[in-house]
Amino acid sequence: MLGYQHGDSLAHRLDPRTKLAVQLTFAVAAFAHTDPRGLAVLTVVTAGALASARLSPVAVLWGYRFLLPLLAAAVLFELVTLGPPWLDLAAAVDPLLASYRTLLIVAVAAGYVRTTAARESRAAVQWAIPGKPGRLLGAGVGLVFRFLPLLRRDLAAIRDAERARLGDERPTRERLQTVGAAGLRRAFARADRLAMALSARCFSWNATLPRIRFRAVDAPALALAAGLAASVLV
Amino acid sequence: MSTATDSVDLVGDEVAVNLVRAALLAALMGAFAFVSFPNPLNPAVPVTAQVLGVFLAGIYLGPAWGGFAMALYVLAGVLGAPVFSGASAGLAEIFGPTGGYLLSYPFAAALIGAVVHGVNGLVDPEGVSLPRLVGAMTAGTVVIYALGIAVYWYYLDTSLVAAIVGAGLVFVPAEAVKMAAAIGIVRSDEVQAT
Amino acid sequence: MLELDGLTHEYDGARAVDGVSLTIPDGEFLVLCGPNGSGKSTLVRHLNGLLEPDAGEVLVDGTVASEDPVAARTTVGMAFQEPRDQFVAATVGGDVAFGPENLGLSHDEIDRRVEAAIEAVGLDGREDDRIETLSGGERERLAVAGALAMEPNHLVLDEPFTGLDSPARERLLARLRDLHADGTGLIVVTHDLRDVLHDADRVVCLADGEVVVDAGPEAATEELTEYGVRVPDR
Repeated sequence: MLGYQHGDSLAHRLDPRTKLAVQLTFAVAAFAHTDPRGLAVLTVVTAGALASARLSPVAVLWGYRFLLPLLAAAVLFELVTLGPPWLDLAAAVDPLLASYRTLLIVAVAAGYVRTTAARESRAAVQWAIPGKPGRLLGAGVGLVFRFLPLLRRDLAAIRDAERARLGDERPTRERLQTVGAAGLRRAFARADRLAMALSARCFSWNATLPRIRFRAVDAPALALAAGLAASVLV
Repeated sequence: MSTATDSVDLVGDEVAVNLVRAALLAALMGAFAFVSFPNPLNPAVPVTAQVLGVFLAGIYLGPAWGGFAMALYVLAGVLGAPVFSGASAGLAEIFGPTGGYLLSYPFAAALIGAVVHGVNGLVDPEGVSLPRLVGAMTAGTVVIYALGIAVYWYYLDTSLVAAIVGAGLVFVPAEAVKMAAAIGIVRSDEVQAT
Repeated sequence: MLELDGLTHEYDGARAVDGVSLTIPDGEFLVLCGPNGSGKSTLVRHLNGLLEPDAGEVLVDGTVASEDPVAARTTVGMAFQEPRDQFVAATVGGDVAFGPENLGLSHDEIDRRVEAAIEAVGLDGREDDRIETLSGGERERLAVAGALAMEPNHLVLDEPFTGLDSPARERLLARLRDLHADGTGLIVVTHDLRDVLHDADRVVCLADGEVVVDAGPEAATEELTEYGVRVPDR
């Protein structure tokens, strides 16, 4: 699983806004140039992005392996025909290019995920969306990062208890219901305590944002983002 | 005291409670992504509990905060919280073939919340009639699949039939199971709505 | 100084706190004890304006707590039970910064407070650690740090020793002694006096929402056993 890791790679030192700009413009450029030449150029950009995050392509593929059957299915569905000539290579080209494009976008995004702390992301959200909506989204995103591991453990414990008591024999609906109800009950109990704790620590609308600032290293990355954006217009 | 306390604009208790519940529901949905069950109708495609999270968000948090909870889920995932299926994360998910499903969740939860609660404040979900709950979740499911299939189809350049079969029909029976589970949860007394 | 005058709190008609009057001077180490359900946790939530009295009032340095919650919450810091459910960020440093950020302080001031609070609880060097990696005792100390970063005059700890083994309790207690020596008032809520009795300046015991014991530690010990409070063996 790919997640944030503390580190000092080039990508770690970039401002989160820069990294988001590169990702977004990269994705748009990939859609605009889903042809062999465009994708070849973007492959080079992807390699650079991965290197700057010190992330290996193999790790990315492994982290997103669940995507592969889905992409393969799309290609196969067009490749195989239900009658002669059985294989239609020409029809499979477009889905193949689209699938490859997906992998490139995934790899660039993985660089962001690996090198950006939740705190920085939260600051970027509040920078991009000012006012109360930004504050609620920023604070909420921080809480999702914080509580995901706790709730995951809750669910695992609920399932273990269930399995020990009732085995794996019961119908899916009943099991979903048990896990869902117990998970929701625990989440709401945590929420009530957490809300109290937020209030005790003066949860406010006009809080200071975590420090984010553009530095010299951001300049080439922002130029890259600008280049990607411009490529869409060409 | 070194702090000028009158410049601090506190978030009200009610908003704080709703925000926290929305965030924890979004996190719960992320935790659901790790939980898969054998699909009774098609063992090859396991059922993940995620769409159950969309149902519960609309039913328990209502249209505004339920929709907000799902927006948080998507945003946190885009920013790197491993909440999407297969514990993945990142902006690529939105730009991927299954991005349509993700983008549909806030709308689906808001719609479910609006049908269950109406638009004038929240009601106790336990008192909502069965047809209304089923209708709400069916409408939500339609929104999810309409967007999900459309994006999958556009994105992968397949034929529309391939998209409807590959991204829709194989999953739909499992959604009925999740609806039944959601109804069971609402009726079970186990979860306090307020 | 904290002044409670006839403080009363009801849940659905039942009196959890029933006409309590107390004066807590700055710098006092007060232990608030009593059996489960005696109203301890409800009482302390009035000290920083998290709850509104049904009758009576709470004054924090002369101001009604619920009328100026920001002043009350920066004067009375609070570490609740279940510390896991009161952390808002993924990392140690990020969490401690939450309170000062809400106060809208400058980045330099936030950094200074975070560093001081983390050092005061002995978690220095752990700023970038993820909260899931902390032990039970470290989590409790982190909760204390989160409250300390508000630079309160009084620190309330609700059942801080629950679930801690004896070395962890001793480490926490050592930090609390240091804080007390530096002039921070402590209000420790507990149903088990063994850990703190000899350090306390004063022991207040609640039963059914009323004060039944209010004395120095020596005198209090005599009266306490009859209220189901565990006292140290001698």
